[in-house]
Amino acid sequence: MAIIEVKDLVKEFVVVRKKTGLGGAVKSLFWPEKEIVRGVDGLSFDIEQGDIVGYIGPNGAGKSTTIKMLTGILHPTEGEIRVCGMSPQKERKAVVRQLGVVFGQRTQLYWDLRLGETFELLKRIYRIEDKRFRETMDILNGVLRIQDFIDTPVRQLSLGQRMRGDLAAAMIHDPTVLFLDEPTIGLDADAKHAIREFILTMNRERRMTVVLTTHDLDDVELLCSQLLVVNHGKLVEDGPLDAIVNKLSPHRLLMIELNHSAALPDHDRARIIRQDGLKVWYQFDKSAITASELIADLSGKLPIRDLSVQEPDIEDAIREVYRTTA
Amino acid sequence: MRAYGYFIKMRVLTALAYRFEVWIGMVGDIIMLAASVYIWKAAYGNGVVGSGGFDVGLQNMITYTVISVLLASVFQTGVQNTIYTQVREGNIALDFMRPLPLLGIYLSDDIGSMVSALVNKAIPLIVAAVLLFGFPLPAGAGAFAGFLVSSLFSFVILWLMSAMVGMVAFWVAELGNLGMVKDAVVRVLSGSLVPLWFFPDAVQNVSEWLPFQYTYQTPIGIYIGVTTAGDAVRAICIQGIWVIILGLLLAWIWKHARSKVMVQGG
Repeated sequence: MAIIEVKDLVKEFVVVRKKTGLGGAVKSLFWPEKEIVRGVDGLSFDIEQGDIVGYIGPNGAGKSTTIKMLTGILHPTEGEIRVCGMSPQKERKAVVRQLGVVFGQRTQLYWDLRLGETFELLKRIYRIEDKRFRETMDILNGVLRIQDFIDTPVRQLSLGQRMRGDLAAAMIHDPTVLFLDEPTIGLDADAKHAIREFILTMNRERRMTVVLTTHDLDDVELLCSQLLVVNHGKLVEDGPLDAIVNKLSPHRLLMIELNHSAALPDHDRARIIRQDGLKVWYQFDKSAITASELIADLSGKLPIRDLSVQEPDIEDAIREVYRTTA
Repeated sequence: MRAYGYFIKMRVLTALAYRFEVWIGMVGDIIMLAASVYIWKAAYGNGVVGSGGFDVGLQNMITYTVISVLLASVFQTGVQNTIYTQVREGNIALDFMRPLPLLGIYLSDDIGSMVSALVNKAIPLIVAAVLLFGFPLPAGAGAFAGFLVSSLFSFVILWLMSAMVGMVAFWVAELGNLGMVKDAVVRVLSGSLVPLWFFPDAVQNVSEWLPFQYTYQTPIGIYIGVTTAGDAVRAICIQGIWVIILGLLLAWIWKHARSKVMVQGG
């Protein structure tokens, strides 16, 4: 059974159009011009337990709105949502007990108090037993090194520390599903690495389902087994990352560096797309020919000094999705 | 329940985190107290008072004022502002992630503020009042007990009204001066500045049918003994009725507000 089921989800917003100039401002004050915008427009998808799902799309595609409906904050205009078999709107308290949520641009930590106080509060909110609490804190300390700054007031934490604190706070009650809304936004390479390690560990050891929205495609590549791509509130791609990338950019590149210049042979299943001094780039479709076949064919004809095979660029593939569905 | 207890504790800790604010607040309260009392002294000194033929002596009026300032410093109804800022900044999203009723969380916050206000506002005010004007004694033990019960109801009425005004933010996102207008109405019609006895009869008659005078005037009237025991019981019952009416109204508004939630800023 899918842990998250979404069917024909629609969310409409009323947007007030502001007119320009003083006259327009006065007019808007008395006769506001309202317009209904569909932020989410007929989404349907299932998420299975234990998956790490990347929920991606350009700014304004409806990602955060969807997350906020899945977590029971917003009420959908139409459609159905089931999280752990329940409606997050009708049974908010029971559903959120099963959820961990991190909004990258907000913090649930108490700004003026030492970080540890937030954990003490959460321990009481979720009625976590002392023993269980200590065990979970040990795991969190192991990966996120929370103990280094647990006595620091939250307002004095660096962004990376704060984000680690927020992740730990979202995990303290052992949620079934973890929602991460841009968890690596603005973080340095080290902090990003720690957070990705943590997500993978929790997914592996506790079979936790993770739904991740991000603009960082490294997050997607390193973490996500499944992708949901949205644009303009509609689902445009749904499936494993490899399949989506293969579908959109099935080509790979073989870069060959020559010892000395030579006549470049044509190949029936690969074409030269670029040449720069002694370097040549062949593009080929991996379903038509394997890299080793191509290398074998060319090595007899060319004085090869060095070579490398380049995987298709995920970023290009994703940009292609956004562009073609715009 | 332990969760709410910890919310209260966190709020007390937060209040103590800002020592400067504590000291400044103390000075401000004491200035307010002294100014109000001296205005009444001046008024009585010139024989202005007594238009309604109401029998309230200067000493009673000083006690009234001291208790009024004291109550105002202890009654913390931050809920109005909390809902407004949480909606405005979009952090309401995080409050919804707690498996607890939101209003319960906000109420615990305010109770926490009241606990810290008792320590860092009420006590200095009482000390200042004793030094300046002598201890403001209640009319009797019964009056004091009635005052405590009535004050509790007063707080609940004030809190429910604040929560209601705060909830308007779910519809308009920009509360503007609505909160200030409501605070001004409460200040005047509750009798916290000037008891309603000094107002024209017409105002008094209307006011009896509004919740405001049951927030300050009722408990303080009981304290200084202007309200007789029988009237005190009746007044506390009316307070109870207002708690029920406002409570039901708030529950109804909240039910509709829930589906109106918007989260600002992505």
